[in-house]
Amino acid sequence: MGLIARAIEEAGIPTISLSSAYDLTALVKPPRSFFVNYPLGHTAGRPFDRENQTAILRNALGCAGEITEPGAIVELQLIWDDPSWQAGV
Amino acid sequence: MKYVKYVDVTRAMFPDQPPYQWTENVSAPWTPIVKPLTESRVALISSGGVYRRDQPPFKPDKNDLTFREIPADTDVRELRISHDYYDHSDAERDVNCVFPIERMRELAAEGFIGGLSEAHFTFMGRIFRKTGLLNEMIPGLIARLKALGVDLAFLVPA
Repeated sequence: MGLIARAIEEAGIPTISLSSAYDLTALVKPPRSFFVNYPLGHTAGRPFDRENQTAILRNALGCAGEITEPGAIVELQLIWDDPSWQAGV
Repeated sequence: MKYVKYVDVTRAMFPDQPPYQWTENVSAPWTPIVKPLTESRVALISSGGVYRRDQPPFKPDKNDLTFREIPADTDVRELRISHDYYDHSDAERDVNCVFPIERMRELAAEGFIGGLSEAHFTFMGRIFRKTGLLNEMIPGLIARLKALGVDLAFLVPA
């Protein structure tokens, strides 16, 4: 997805990327990324949790304009319900 | 911050294959965001394998270089997912987990963003043919974004 963000940005359309894979995003470097530390399949939020989903979009959209460093990754302050999920990946 | 190392996870999943080399970039391209959010037309792009049920599903293993256009007013009950490499059981129940179209519609309705593109775009991740991606899929996608007058692209990987 990072390559696509980069190509769209190069074509003159600004991009905002969500990411749940910090290491991959740091390698590929899309122009502006917001890190959601959730299991894959939930990058835009928890199921049926409108408040959580809206907060992710609102934060990313609202803060993107303040990013000045190309390739920046901003960590959104979110915690998955089961904190042990990372051990199971 | 503790996070999953997906480079290592991916390599461990395919021990018999040569380790996949992720693209490593030292810089990023840049187009400044100059238009106010409240005037910007936003397009959603998701790699979660989402398609409308009257469209062909994605090839669920890898290297499907096609994308689908999802009209902005699509009823989410019409959406399906084909993708073999992430757990989409939650996203099948609530597609907004990977394709947050209902949340975007709400943000447009309240004026937080200027509006939505008439169409949004979905494809399936796990594309390992970088040249094919760059030469076949991406030019078509960019042409559609431009034709639709998109000011801001919002990308959601699954």
